[in-house]
Amino acid sequence: MMSEPKRLHPVAMILNILHSFRQWLVSLLPVVILSIGNGRLLFIGIFAVVLAVFYIGYSVVSWYRYTYWIEEDQLRIEHGVVIRKKRSISKHRIQSIDLTQNIIHRIFGLTKVHIETAGTDLGIDAALHAVTMAEGKAIHDRLKYKKEQGSEDVFNDEKMPAEMYSSQKVDMTSLLVAGSTSASFGVILGILGLLVTELDSLIPDHYYSQATNWLFSQAVQTLILLAITALIIMWFFGILTTVIQYWKFTITRYEKELFMTRGLLEKKQSTIPLKKIQAVGIKESLLRQPLGFCTIYVEVASGALGKDGDTATLLFPILRKKHALSFIKELLPEFAFEQMNWGRPPSRALPYYLFRWIIIPLIACIVVAIYSLEWFYLPLAALGLALCIAYSQFKSAGYEIQEKQLLIQSRILNKDMVIMPHKRLQSMSKKQHILHKRHQLANLETAILSTITGRRVALLELEEKDTERIINWYSYRKQHLS
Amino acid sequence: MRLPPRNRIATDAIKAWKLHAHLKAFIPLLFTIGAFAASYFVDFIPYWVGAGLAVLTLLYWGVLALLIPKLKWKRWRYEIFEQEVYIQHGIIVVTRTVVPMVRVQHVDTQQGPILKRYGLSTLEISTAATVHTIPALLESEASDLRDQISELARVEQDDV
Repeated sequence: MMSEPKRLHPVAMILNILHSFRQWLVSLLPVVILSIGNGRLLFIGIFAVVLAVFYIGYSVVSWYRYTYWIEEDQLRIEHGVVIRKKRSISKHRIQSIDLTQNIIHRIFGLTKVHIETAGTDLGIDAALHAVTMAEGKAIHDRLKYKKEQGSEDVFNDEKMPAEMYSSQKVDMTSLLVAGSTSASFGVILGILGLLVTELDSLIPDHYYSQATNWLFSQAVQTLILLAITALIIMWFFGILTTVIQYWKFTITRYEKELFMTRGLLEKKQSTIPLKKIQAVGIKESLLRQPLGFCTIYVEVASGALGKDGDTATLLFPILRKKHALSFIKELLPEFAFEQMNWGRPPSRALPYYLFRWIIIPLIACIVVAIYSLEWFYLPLAALGLALCIAYSQFKSAGYEIQEKQLLIQSRILNKDMVIMPHKRLQSMSKKQHILHKRHQLANLETAILSTITGRRVALLELEEKDTERIINWYSYRKQHLS
Repeated sequence: MRLPPRNRIATDAIKAWKLHAHLKAFIPLLFTIGAFAASYFVDFIPYWVGAGLAVLTLLYWGVLALLIPKLKWKRWRYEIFEQEVYIQHGIIVVTRTVVPMVRVQHVDTQQGPILKRYGLSTLEISTAATVHTIPALLESEASDLRDQISELARVEQDDV
């Protein structure tokens, strides 16, 4: 059976070659471009061919030298061309096994098996880069500690997971909304808005008059038109990538883990063991909030899960804010909550919020006013913007103490509510300076473990007795309040 | 209202921090000397640059060595309870932190050359996500506290 040493599917060689080719392309391209018309092209060409041959040879040999097999409860891997490395991973230490397919995998009916252990060290985890789909599933089933019912069927689209587990799927309209309001689009929208509405008024008249010739203004207009077209294309591209990336995003709750599948071209699975979840967050980005949409994410104690470049792990790419609660209730009942008595900073905290943001644009205003009144509206606009941000930060700030968890909502630009269980809060601080003390206000700061380092969650300028209340709730040393 | 923690850190902390400040003041001092030397050898650098730097250095030195250590010491308090560590620090922003024993992952004591001179060491309490220090305790006290905390922290931990 599976105890025989096996090699990966030969396509692994192709993947390896492509991977190193991509790496080399980036670093070699500038050299190639520079050497064009320099007469050294031949030299570079020979070098490239030698390199290519070397890499192809290396890939073949390393494929040949890479074997894996399953021995009782262990997955064993032997690899290395010159230095032989042997690794065995115990079944009991495996946190999750995920099958991922990119386009090449899918052409050949293969899959990548990504095995994650509890360690935060990425090097300890193993990945079988290309095995057949059946083999991948077999490995999954053999190594999965305490096999979950129905979990082996999840990869088949036609078969739904067992009824007893709840699951959620993203729908197409939401996905389109997600794409058209993605972060990159925010930037584009900003630039676009600025270009369209402000361009004429942005440049004071006499700058125009210096370049009055018709041709120039014509050229400028063409340029703007081109820029707008480019931005719109980028926007569509953004929508497309989001849709492809989160195509058929499905999250399923099993007894001890959350399981997600997604992707149109590249099919990805990921597993989040429940006991690794430190906190759940509901994020409403600036663009999505007015449309009533939000994103659900979790903070996970692992170095590996956040490797897509995000610090937090996405649980659901987009859903309506009003459904967020029922979503959590269904998939993560441990974190479910009811908003009953929402605490907010008092109105005398507002000046602090405003001051923090206004001070720099205010100085800018004064400086600009002294030097040239003509450009005065620029810092003025910044001031207005800062006021808006500060006020909405004040409005968004809030907390609620539940029996076993603390909810903190705050905003930098995006509104973000974090649900943190008591036992995941690593420490809690009350911070106060002299002015705070006079106004009986205090800042609250707590920390949770996320990916590798901690994440600080702060709530600014609360009523002092509210911070005391939260700390009392947190403290194991129940104290008489005087 | 939660009372501030009761215990102060060692009084020698002030001396240690002062010494540290003196050493730190050498860096701007070097810049000042450099500025004077530069204006001696190079024409277009005026002398007032050096003079200005000298004033700044003195100011920096004065604040760092005379003012801050004392204020810092005054504010630094800690208290170890059975269930938690309670720390207060900060000159302008006063921070009071609660670290439950069940969250403590490990405790270290540390000692650099300056602290060693005064027989002091720093206690470092690490949770999964944060590190909290109690600076400049008496050596024996620090190691006692370290053992005490690690003993108290050995209660049943929820896995993190």
